[in-house]
Amino acid sequence: MPTRKLARALSSLVLSSLVFLTPSTSVAAPSGGGGISAAAEAARGLWEKIQQLRGEGDTTRARNSARPQLIEAAGPDGPILDLSNLSDPIAIEEQLARLAALPDDDVRATIAGGGSARLGAFSIGSEQRISGNILIMKGNAEVFGHLAGNLVTYDGDIIVHPGAVISGDVLAVHGLVREQGGEIGGEIQTLSASARTARAAPPPLSSTQLTLRRLAGVVGVFLALAALGYGLAAFGRNNLQVVSDTVSHSFGRAFVTGLVGQILILPTFGMLVVGLVLSVAGILLLPFAVVVYALLVIVGVVGGYLAVAHAMGEAYTRKRLAQGVLLGSPSSYGFLFSGLAATMALWAAWATFGWVPLAGDLIRGAAILVTWLLGTAGLGAAMLSRAGVRENFAGRIIPPEALTDEYLWATPQYGVPAAKRPGASTRTGPGV
Amino acid sequence: MPRWTLAAALALVPASPVAAQEMRDFTTSRQLHGESRLDTRLEFAAGSLRLHAGNAKELYRMRLSYDAERFVPLSRFDPAAGSARLGVESNGRSGIRVSSRSQLRQDATVTLSPEVTLALDIELGAVEADIDLGGLRLADLRLETGASRTLIRFSRPNTTRCGSAVIESGAAEVALVGLGNSRCQRISFSGGVGTATVDLGGTWTSDATLDLSMTMGELTLRLPKSVGIRVVMDKFLSSFPSAGFVRDGDTYSTPGYARAARKVEIQLSSTIGGVAVEWMP
Repeated sequence: MPTRKLARALSSLVLSSLVFLTPSTSVAAPSGGGGISAAAEAARGLWEKIQQLRGEGDTTRARNSARPQLIEAAGPDGPILDLSNLSDPIAIEEQLARLAALPDDDVRATIAGGGSARLGAFSIGSEQRISGNILIMKGNAEVFGHLAGNLVTYDGDIIVHPGAVISGDVLAVHGLVREQGGEIGGEIQTLSASARTARAAPPPLSSTQLTLRRLAGVVGVFLALAALGYGLAAFGRNNLQVVSDTVSHSFGRAFVTGLVGQILILPTFGMLVVGLVLSVAGILLLPFAVVVYALLVIVGVVGGYLAVAHAMGEAYTRKRLAQGVLLGSPSSYGFLFSGLAATMALWAAWATFGWVPLAGDLIRGAAILVTWLLGTAGLGAAMLSRAGVRENFAGRIIPPEALTDEYLWATPQYGVPAAKRPGASTRTGPGV
Repeated sequence: MPRWTLAAALALVPASPVAAQEMRDFTTSRQLHGESRLDTRLEFAAGSLRLHAGNAKELYRMRLSYDAERFVPLSRFDPAAGSARLGVESNGRSGIRVSSRSQLRQDATVTLSPEVTLALDIELGAVEADIDLGGLRLADLRLETGASRTLIRFSRPNTTRCGSAVIESGAAEVALVGLGNSRCQRISFSGGVGTATVDLGGTWTSDATLDLSMTMGELTLRLPKSVGIRVVMDKFLSSFPSAGFVRDGDTYSTPGYARAARKVEIQLSSTIGGVAVEWMP
């Protein structure tokens, strides 16, 4: 199949070269130098054919080539084209595109200022002198003679041969201007038709596709947060539990703190930057400080959110245990998993029913609000507990050293604490 | 989940949407018909720009590939004033969009006639520019650049005397190369943040004065040994290497400056950063 295609292309090439080598009768030939000109034309024709076979040629022009004819003037309500000013080629292209969309026989246009418009190939002979602006659509314009005015082509080239004179501007919309030695007094412009599109815009999604895509997104976020949470539980369990307890025992305080923290994030950042810039040595630390600050904010928000999920999961598990439901051995991993599942429930509902008019928007709004509430409380708890270091708001009122059963056996002697009693250090238990 | 179910689910999930970007080609040129002077203003907001001397029979030529969603080509010529405006201008339909390297980039090549006296006014945005002014008849230069990487060079001597060259850059990487060929009596460079290289190579045909200012960043001076150079330094939290100079307060002169056939005086201001000096043979 490719061989046959190649053979057809080559035969086309040979035929076209013969055609180009034959003197054209439709175009007035310049006087003198016919042999050289014909050879140049033949070479050009061959080159264009090669470009077309390679798919790089302007096939639009060949496809849209029209039978040469005059475009009649439009009626009073018809389009009027002003070709006296070609400084806005985009606007001219828009006007001409509307005309080009019509069937050839239905095209009507009035050229302002007494110019003329034509369909198909057109040429100005070497003995001709034409005044006025000219529009050529769906064909090439070859100029050998004199044109006192502007020349515009649409879906066609402008070829200015040696000896030709165009006093005005030329514009080839979806074409080229080939200067072969003539004189052009004004601006020479070309505007390509080829729109190189990077990637086509995808078609709109169906509700099923949309739902699947959103669900995949929710699952992805859940898995990412679960992975982060498991890492946190494995390597920073104590901090996680302290922040989680802070959320449980001081939710209101944590939320207010988180709110204030959000408000102060940007001003604090600004103060940090200004402070570092003003200090001589600090400016060197500025890039690092900016990165560290951003990381701290991210860790605070994400870690706080995970701590909230942990607290939710812990509360749920304790409630189930109190009801006598066997849940295996509760751990921070289980708390995180169940808590994250709960926080993602609203987003899962949005992913499933988000396509429903109004209800979808309401669910999304609720999911955003709840997520923000939890994130704010988590950030506040992380700030209150200094990232899980400080237990003041975690409900751990009794210090750990007080959580001992010593009071069961140690009888105070004359008001002296057991720990300070002589020989207390040697005692290890009631039986000693 | 059976494999076919998973495959079907994946097939139903499309790739992430990417907005289409339409690039169009535009060319504009004008034949030279006896003009002797051209005031050219070149405006290019984003993309890649090349400028150099072109065909002697053409006053100017611009070949442009532009983002049709955001810009329209700019080509205006005023024959009475002998001025031209070239480049792209916003179409006013799109806001500011930060382009990534993976997206299609605008590209422009501008050539100017070496036969006419030029006053060149260039305004660049986020542009990677290679501006070779060698071989042109440059009488005056003004260049303003934003966040760009700009190379301005004089690969060949300017064919006429240049009054002044004023270059202002924002957050940019700027290199001025071969200033000896510029034949400018006064050269001013004002840099904001970034790095700048000022190369005084080339053929100096007269004395010159340079005003160099760098607010925050590094400025590299490439100095030829064949020219007498005096640097008057104004620095704050900045350093200047004195090797190769004779220091007198804030003034640094090359040995034999007073007897040099060609003298270049540099008024150098550096606020935060450093100045490096490289000597050229």
